[in-house]
Amino acid sequence: MALRPYWKGYLKLSLVTCPVQMTPATSESEKVRFHTLNRVTHNRVMSRYVDAVTGKEIEDEDAVKGYQKGEDDYVILEEEELENVALDSTKTIDIDVFAPSDSIEWIWLDTPYYLSPNEPVGEEAFSVIRDAMASEDMVGISRLVISRRERAVMLEPRGKGIVLWTLRYGDEVRDENAYFGGVDDSPSDPEVVLLVQQLIKKQTRHWDSKLVADPVQDKLLEIIEAKRKQTKRPAKTKEINPKRAPSNVINIMDALRKSVEGENRRGKR
Amino acid sequence: MVVARANWKGFIKFGGVAVAVKLYTVASSSERIAFHTLNRVTGNRVRRVFVDSETGDTVEPEEQVKGYEVENGDFVVLEPEDVASAIPESDKTLKVEAFVPCNEIDDVYFDKPYYLAPDKMGADGFKLLRDGMRKGRVAALARTVLFRRLRTVLIRPHNNGLIGTTLNFDYEIRSSEEAFDQLPDLKIEGEMLELAKHIINTKKGSFDPKAFDDRYESAVAELVKAKIEGRALPKERAPSPSKPGDLLQALRESAALVSARKPKRSSQKTDDGASSRKAQRISRSKRTA
Repeated sequence: MALRPYWKGYLKLSLVTCPVQMTPATSESEKVRFHTLNRVTHNRVMSRYVDAVTGKEIEDEDAVKGYQKGEDDYVILEEEELENVALDSTKTIDIDVFAPSDSIEWIWLDTPYYLSPNEPVGEEAFSVIRDAMASEDMVGISRLVISRRERAVMLEPRGKGIVLWTLRYGDEVRDENAYFGGVDDSPSDPEVVLLVQQLIKKQTRHWDSKLVADPVQDKLLEIIEAKRKQTKRPAKTKEINPKRAPSNVINIMDALRKSVEGENRRGKR
Repeated sequence: MVVARANWKGFIKFGGVAVAVKLYTVASSSERIAFHTLNRVTGNRVRRVFVDSETGDTVEPEEQVKGYEVENGDFVVLEPEDVASAIPESDKTLKVEAFVPCNEIDDVYFDKPYYLAPDKMGADGFKLLRDGMRKGRVAALARTVLFRRLRTVLIRPHNNGLIGTTLNFDYEIRSSEEAFDQLPDLKIEGEMLELAKHIINTKKGSFDPKAFDDRYESAVAELVKAKIEGRALPKERAPSPSKPGDLLQALRESAALVSARKPKRSSQKTDDGASSRKAQRISRSKRTA
């Protein structure tokens, strides 16, 4: 059940250090996933590297990263060498600054990860850093090298763990004044605002992950199932009788249908 | 002022009101350091080709098609029009389906933010929605077809305008409860907590995105230089974790260290001002419950 960590390293506050691991909050495992096929043979299509000069296919282990020094002039860099790039932020999240938790606008949040202690030896130190941030209502700001970039990161206590967000670079976020500068900021008619507030109140619900269900995935599975029945040979239809041998697709569809029905019932209340 | 072209134009619909809006990308992603892939044996650049896994023949892009695996090695083929047929017709309308209190929103669902500006300046409906949501401390959830995908968009007031953030779907996110389920339930109290709070307060500052610099590229350039000159590459030492028995000592020493230095970033007194923040904490912990 445990996910393979995306990154392993250390969390550091002054002289306190503990081993930690990080996994992405996003997951592809429940998504309807497609493979690329050859339309003619229906076999899967695989990606291969070929040498640009000789045109010969190369083995995966012979593919290596090259840093371009000049035209047609490269320096080969092995993965191990890159790991040793002289930046402490490749291995250590050293929390250097703390900021009030509501001081970082949502607009800066890029990608969320879950950070947790990696070994029992670090659990207490991890908890100290987490609980101190929580009780002061602060988030930590640090740096971390992720996928060949050094990112500003924000650490926020959440339950028993810490959510780590990569933050966008300053030059990545466009100046809002170019878009909102022209919006007339005279106050709206207070009476109408009151009416809008009433409408909003009536339609306000508690946050629930069901609010972000995806009807398209449901439809896609239906289309797949219909196509599958079309292409099945008659002899095989018995085997896919859902009562005897429920296939994975049918299970997923049932589960998805049930959650959609549940949502509909909620909506009617 | 030069304004970029809108990425999308449409309407926000709430109650019986339709507001014409333009949508603009907030964030462009900046370049990362580009490495090339080489053939280690010849030193030549490589290129990627797609081959049939059985026959080994090259498969051109127009011969590639999507397949969904139903049983081992058995695929249902889906043409682009099959996939498109699952997506509802675009009506260019962000229809508000619900409002949710801002402090309940689970931000790990956030995907990409967009600026939403009124299509005609002074659009009253735009301001009403913005001001109504701000007063009620809520954000709106709307659905629409955006760039040929059905998306859920969280719309919230932001200064004079609105920001629409696309959200990931429920099955694309692992909940934090699930992720942290196995962690021990350790609550830190007493001297350890007080020391750590003290250290945090001496490091109080703010995040300045404009001041942040990506040092990775120059570090790689340094690495390359060292390699060319045949110098030994500097090895980054792994820090040694604090042992549980030494944790209190490490905290005491850290606290002494930061107290010896003048707080750099803030002249604020570092007493714990927890009481004023308690109310907020209570509402925050409700969110995760």
